[in-house]
Amino acid sequence: MPRVLLLFARTSYRAEAFLEAARRLGVDVTVGSNHRQALADFAPGATLTLGFRDVARSSATIVRFAADYPLAAIVAAGDDFTPLAAAASEALELTHHPSQAVRRARNKALMRERLSEAGFSSPWFRTTRLDEEPAAVASKIEFPCVLKPLALSASRGVIRADTPEQFVRAWQRIRGILEQDDVVGRIGRLASELLIEAYLPGREVALEGIVSAGELRTLAVLDKPDLMDGPFFEETILVTPSRFPEQVQEDIVSLVSRCAAHLGLSDGPIHAELRVDADRISLLEIAPRSIGGRCSRILRFEPDKSLEELILRHSLGMPHDDFLREPGAAGVMMLPIPAAGVLLEVVGLEAALEVPGIEGLEITIPLGHTVVPLPEGNRYLGFLFARAETPDHVENVLRAAHARIKVRIEEA
Amino acid sequence: MSDTTQSPIKFTDLARDVVLRFADMGGDSSPAVRIQVSSPSPLDPRYEITLIDDQEKCEEDLVFGQQGFEVVMDPESAKLLDGASVDWVESLQQSGFKVENPNLAPIGSKPLEGPLADRVRQVIEQYVNPGVAQHGGHVTLVEVRDKIVYLQMGGGCQGCGMASVTLSQGIERILKEQVPEIVGIEDVTNHSAGDSPYFTSEK
Repeated sequence: MPRVLLLFARTSYRAEAFLEAARRLGVDVTVGSNHRQALADFAPGATLTLGFRDVARSSATIVRFAADYPLAAIVAAGDDFTPLAAAASEALELTHHPSQAVRRARNKALMRERLSEAGFSSPWFRTTRLDEEPAAVASKIEFPCVLKPLALSASRGVIRADTPEQFVRAWQRIRGILEQDDVVGRIGRLASELLIEAYLPGREVALEGIVSAGELRTLAVLDKPDLMDGPFFEETILVTPSRFPEQVQEDIVSLVSRCAAHLGLSDGPIHAELRVDADRISLLEIAPRSIGGRCSRILRFEPDKSLEELILRHSLGMPHDDFLREPGAAGVMMLPIPAAGVLLEVVGLEAALEVPGIEGLEITIPLGHTVVPLPEGNRYLGFLFARAETPDHVENVLRAAHARIKVRIEEA
Repeated sequence: MSDTTQSPIKFTDLARDVVLRFADMGGDSSPAVRIQVSSPSPLDPRYEITLIDDQEKCEEDLVFGQQGFEVVMDPESAKLLDGASVDWVESLQQSGFKVENPNLAPIGSKPLEGPLADRVRQVIEQYVNPGVAQHGGHVTLVEVRDKIVYLQMGGGCQGCGMASVTLSQGIERILKEQVPEIVGIEDVTNHSAGDSPYFTSEK
């Protein structure tokens, strides 16, 4: 039985979905994580403790482990472990995006540089160190602009500024985020720099795909129907199939395919975010991983396959091209956190579940825990899932269900 | 379609009156009720009970006479419903038919006894709980049915982002090694109700 090494940060939303996919495929699993499993002593080969910062050291640990427990694939569920999955896969000659490509894609400044040099249409951008004087930087740039950490995901720390004053305030706020221990622990030296780029107007859209031997297979194009014009860029609703005209969707796929190829992302899942403004399509980022949070639950493929199963199939060299997304429309709402404080109560859950078309609801922050909204926040309040005949219907269902949910927070 | 007289399922007087009342409201003088097991999982058995027209009966359906109406079932549901009873319950919050089915008794409703359950419980106490206690967690055996172990996770394990890893990479492996006749492990924990998970998920 082939063995796959699944890499999860201890805070991953994705463990259950990947483990279920592996179970369905009948493959043996080792879980690598940045904490020691409580029962590790009793189940040799089942888990591996790995750090994601020291890639060389952890990669060597995996190579040693593979001598006793041969690995057929290494798959990282999220951002943090992707560089390690790439490095260890290279060392063991397993199917994965190359390390260099992963490094380019994870660092938003490197990605911009690389794509801009190759002639891809890019917004103006510059990288600055956080110890520079923000007012001086503001005097040299155009507005509106967007300030972004180089390597955080889900819009954490991304702020739009329309004036020099807003720019300085945004800078200070992001510096506060990047100085947090958990952030430094995750992205290391990338926490000392910022990407500043032109604000791109337009509607946001995402593309989920798997690149196989350099060929992109698009699994879904997902609309983000909420206007995301700042100052923060909270993701809420994702709906597929996209309602953009067919030609625009083809252009989206073409742009992502060319960008992935140019970055060298050749074998593995990708998740791209783009802006569409009239005829102009701009890539915001392309991550060498699959969609985050619990959002993958809306992507199901016939017959009865999950996104995670397709990803594992690809990494194990098993057929994965024949599975088509289930007909109909599906969507997810990442429930926004309305205020900072302590989560006291979430009511209306049963009423939300009763909205026809809603097929699931998960609250992922326990009552009594601290909640922090964007741009500082790093957790979702929860997820609402819907399925219906059309994307419009899915969007309406999600909004109707969300309107029934009331969140009570004791504000800090 | 086959007609039989001995129904494998019983309606209480109240449930029967409700069926006849609904049929009367629809102007149906010879009503038929389809009962279907829509989910046979013992974790969450579900049933669908609907008034149907003659055209909605299928060739393979089994049809049973009750007092005043017909009960229609597909063969699989008929097997699973043998000995079940249907009641009507009403409260301030909700009202509806309630099915009591001994064949699909919800997990945890049967007494925890027998040598297999004893061995599983012993393994949990000896190996699993001392381990998960390091993370403030504990695991309770809920039932062993058809060689499947049903467990509930509490404390730091309830709602923990890594609970599925602990289950599949730890508990399941230990149990299958120590009690080889076990064929599966099911977690019946309501993880969303956990208030002190050891790890909570983050972006």
